[in-house]
Amino acid sequence: MSVTLVWYLIVAAMMFAIGAWGAMIRRNAVVVFMCVELMINAVNLTLVAFSDYLPKAHGAGTGYAVLVIAIAAAEVAVGLAIVLAVFRTRRTVNIDEINSMKG
Amino acid sequence: MPYSAETFVGLIPEIIAAIFLLLVLMVGVFAERAAGLVSGITALGTVLIFASSAWLLASGFHGSFFGGGYVVDGFALYFKLVVAGSAFFASLAATRWAQGTGDATEYLTLILSVVLGALLLVSMRDLFGVFLALELATIPSYAMVAFDRSRRESAEGGMKYIITGAVASSVLLYGIVLIYGASSSANLSGVAKAFSSGHASPVALLGLILLLSGFAFKVSAAPFHFWTPDAYQGAPTSAAAFLSVAPKAATFAILLRILVEGMPGEARVWTAIAAVLAIVTMFTGNLFALRQSNVRRMLAYSSVAHSGYVLTAFAALQGGAKAEAVQAVMIYSAAYAAMNLGAFLVIDLVGEDTKSFNGLIRTRPMVAASMFLFMAALVGIPPLSGFWGKLWIIIAGTGSGSILTYVTVGVLVVNTVLSVPYYFGIVRNMIFEEPVAGTGETKGEGPLKFSVYALAIITVLFFIIIIPLAAVAGSSGLL
Repeated sequence: MSVTLVWYLIVAAMMFAIGAWGAMIRRNAVVVFMCVELMINAVNLTLVAFSDYLPKAHGAGTGYAVLVIAIAAAEVAVGLAIVLAVFRTRRTVNIDEINSMKG
Repeated sequence: MPYSAETFVGLIPEIIAAIFLLLVLMVGVFAERAAGLVSGITALGTVLIFASSAWLLASGFHGSFFGGGYVVDGFALYFKLVVAGSAFFASLAATRWAQGTGDATEYLTLILSVVLGALLLVSMRDLFGVFLALELATIPSYAMVAFDRSRRESAEGGMKYIITGAVASSVLLYGIVLIYGASSSANLSGVAKAFSSGHASPVALLGLILLLSGFAFKVSAAPFHFWTPDAYQGAPTSAAAFLSVAPKAATFAILLRILVEGMPGEARVWTAIAAVLAIVTMFTGNLFALRQSNVRRMLAYSSVAHSGYVLTAFAALQGGAKAEAVQAVMIYSAAYAAMNLGAFLVIDLVGEDTKSFNGLIRTRPMVAASMFLFMAALVGIPPLSGFWGKLWIIIAGTGSGSILTYVTVGVLVVNTVLSVPYYFGIVRNMIFEEPVAGTGETKGEGPLKFSVYALAIITVLFFIIIIPLAAVAGSSGLL
């Protein structure tokens, strides 16, 4: 039994769903960022699978995947800095407790 | 030869942006306390970007570079002008506040990198390039929102913004990757082939829906708008002013390009989605704005509503009104840039509580008059700038020949009426209430006041500007 493109896509879709689910239900901001990383990596898996299995894509997707990894790293770096700034003023990173603005 | 001299000419605005980005950073390192110098350099940079884009536009420059993944046409150059213009006023307005924080260099560097990202974004014709440029414009904007360390709301707004923004980015990226997989190409002309048959594969359609959801987040369309009020309330005022205008205009521009150039075959699907999004967005924005007592938060909801107005033009991209719909997005972006930037900057002068506007007509008549103009323009009273944007959207909508678009245009008219109370509530406070103490002038307001007055003049004289603007928009090269 050979591993086809669909297998990768299903695994990636499940990873994406788990990440999205976690980003919605977890209350710790750092864990939410981990879930976002999971989502981005699921997308990367899809991307690499596509570029490997589609002859017309000429494997260009692999190059894009490297870019995506760099962007994700930049995003999380800024994100963790902001979480740190929040933690300094409030001593918590629980999203439910960080709610001074409403309406 | 892949890189000719023409490539460099076409990329002059971006090259200037990149050079000034590095220059500001270096000057900041060697002259730590020279906030005035740094913001002067930033303003100069934006003026040069504006001038070079205007020159390219006037000379009718048209070129496609990097394997067709990057295009410099009238449409892109027009939005480069909008971005550079609003960055100019935002960097002037940021001077005083940034001086006070002692981190003027970092703040202005962030503004310039958002500008660079937005300049690149409007020219992209490759979906991964779109993602890269979009993130270049968005990631610094997270830091800008969280920049004010003296207020707790700032970091909180930044955190809410980055968490929703990061999720939105990954959804958008998933959409892009699925479209790439379905069409074996990330280039818009390649994508158009996959969508041209009229019955695109389910994978491509799922990709389109995810892409639209991701963009809806970025332009704060309901039901993906919930980060907007918190981010704009927490952000430094100049950051909120800039971010609600320049990156948003660029995002609308690239969404328009992707849909028009990449997916004309599925226009039926995405105009319907845009219409539904527009209706929900307009009602959400206006109904929530009515309840606000914080002017900054009110304007944040108002910017949500205005995203809905622009999405109405997207819904009209069908039938016989396609050209008008593209023009409507272009004209609305410029009109909205002037009036919304101005309204936010007045908050920086006066204060963010509704009460701080009380009796402003007596204490500071010029500022009050400018605020009156911005509010009237945001409602859409002729001949101010907002009116022309709405007029073009209505013209495009009535020519589209689709029932759903007619309904959307009707909702737009209803929402214009709905928005009158909260805009004119401020005007009422300015005229009829007794002044409160402490709204007098403070030192170092010169550049900020210059920006406000200049934007007020642009808002008033928009009926003259509209003539060249409509001509440029009409010959934009998109459609």
